[in-house]
Amino acid sequence: MVDKLNLKRVLGLYGISAKMDLAWLLRDTKYAIAVIIADIIANLATVSSVFLISVRFGGIGGMSSNEVLFMMAYSTMITGIFIMFGAANNFRVSRIIGRGQLEHMFIQPVPVKMQLATMGFVPFTGGINFVVGALLLVIAGERLDLHVTPQWTLMLFLFLLATMTTIVARSYLVSTFAFYAPVAAEEISTKAIEGTWLLSTFPLSGMPSFVQIPLLTILPEGLMAWFPSLCLLGRPPLGLSAYYPMLYAIILATVAAAIFRKGLNYYVKSGSNRYLPYGFRR
Amino acid sequence: MYKYYVTARMSAQEQTNGGILYSLPTILLKICTLIPLLYLWKTIMSSGAKAEMSLEQMLSYTFISSILADILVVKTAATGWLSEGVLLKLYGRPFSVLGQLMAQTVGGWVPMLLMYSMPVLFLAPLLGVRLIPASPAFFLSLLLCVSLGFAIDFLFACLCIRLRNVNWLIDQIRAAIIVIFSGTIIPIRLLPFGIGEILKLQPFASLGGSPLGIFVGAGDVRETLLLQVAWNIILWPAAIFAFKKSQERMVSYGG
Repeated sequence: MVDKLNLKRVLGLYGISAKMDLAWLLRDTKYAIAVIIADIIANLATVSSVFLISVRFGGIGGMSSNEVLFMMAYSTMITGIFIMFGAANNFRVSRIIGRGQLEHMFIQPVPVKMQLATMGFVPFTGGINFVVGALLLVIAGERLDLHVTPQWTLMLFLFLLATMTTIVARSYLVSTFAFYAPVAAEEISTKAIEGTWLLSTFPLSGMPSFVQIPLLTILPEGLMAWFPSLCLLGRPPLGLSAYYPMLYAIILATVAAAIFRKGLNYYVKSGSNRYLPYGFRR
Repeated sequence: MYKYYVTARMSAQEQTNGGILYSLPTILLKICTLIPLLYLWKTIMSSGAKAEMSLEQMLSYTFISSILADILVVKTAATGWLSEGVLLKLYGRPFSVLGQLMAQTVGGWVPMLLMYSMPVLFLAPLLGVRLIPASPAFFLSLLLCVSLGFAIDFLFACLCIRLRNVNWLIDQIRAAIIVIFSGTIIPIRLLPFGIGEILKLQPFASLGGSPLGIFVGAGDVRETLLLQVAWNIILWPAAIFAFKKSQERMVSYGG
């Protein structure tokens, strides 16, 4: 019998994940702190390489070094949200499919999509990147004399949501391969997410259009940090609407949902030889 | 030596077990990262920014860094195999564990060299990249870089053994260190605030950034080679000693 879904139940599920995260932090504090520090160092190293270039050369392609810092802060916040909500491979869903762990989710009295939405919530150990990103955003905003209004804050929230939706939708889209080839495609979502992470930190300002346009359409790396940052700074690039990332996210999510559902239908009929009763893959 | 060759060959063949199409996403992603990075440098350098390197040097630096990425910053399977239980199995084979890791790693380079590096070389003239090294010392520097890379990798594996298999954590910190300190993405001499002068002395700078600097003709060849030799002399005995001492502490999962 599937649980009735209401807001209280959803918050309760998030609460369970958060409690487990806190339990890990308190029981194995040394290791948890080491993981947090490693996360911060790894993320800052990736974004700081581009920032250091901008400092060295006084900006990149018309963006000042403070604007590049703003973009890096946005990217760090995205990483923070990703880690905070996606720590249980629920965003890298091809791992769950490829390892035959979807079956464990089918037998739970909670819809699969709700499990995937709530299972990876780690606010205590995973939220620090978001905090660091927010701090950097404040610093960059002060350096740029940014005028923060409630409308601007709402736009920031919408852009963060659109970027996360794009990342997750793309991951789920490519993870559909895992339904048909669980061994070969087990790590495909990792490739889709992490393989292009460095690319998403590049400011595309000043680059030719044959580089910019594919990175705003086919591979949406330009929508991960560069485009939203410029919109938040009041300069939507390329004459596009500031709502373009939201529109892209909605379209991609719709397509990804349809294709993922098709793959799931195939999976529940054909099964998986990767399933093991004790949880891990062969 | 034949057994090392066979190990390398099997490692190369393993990469293509899923068919060449399995490697296609990796190749496409590498190309999709290389081209914007080249244009990033074009954008920066053509805006009149003053740098110690010319645009052609910078483009060549970035291009060669991409096609030799696996070789410039060596990463063996040691830390991953530690947690999977595969590392312990190497002791059952009639040759050196470190030798097996090295052979396996070198073999693993071959498919990407054939499927990505060599085809992409044909793009070089279109991208304004020079393919002839400024000095033949590049090849010696590359050898020293590979050697040092193995030594550093084994030291990280020993660290992983000592810290009881926190290999994910070590991999994260290691990747972060390599990004900034090796000079493979940003030449160390281009780092701001003059920190390049200090960072060029640390061991990671003798990895990818050193042969790349020699390739494009930036930096002192003699000083670079001396630093690489010195770090090899220091770190190889340390790596072998650390690995010998760490073996007894090895706890491996999986199997």
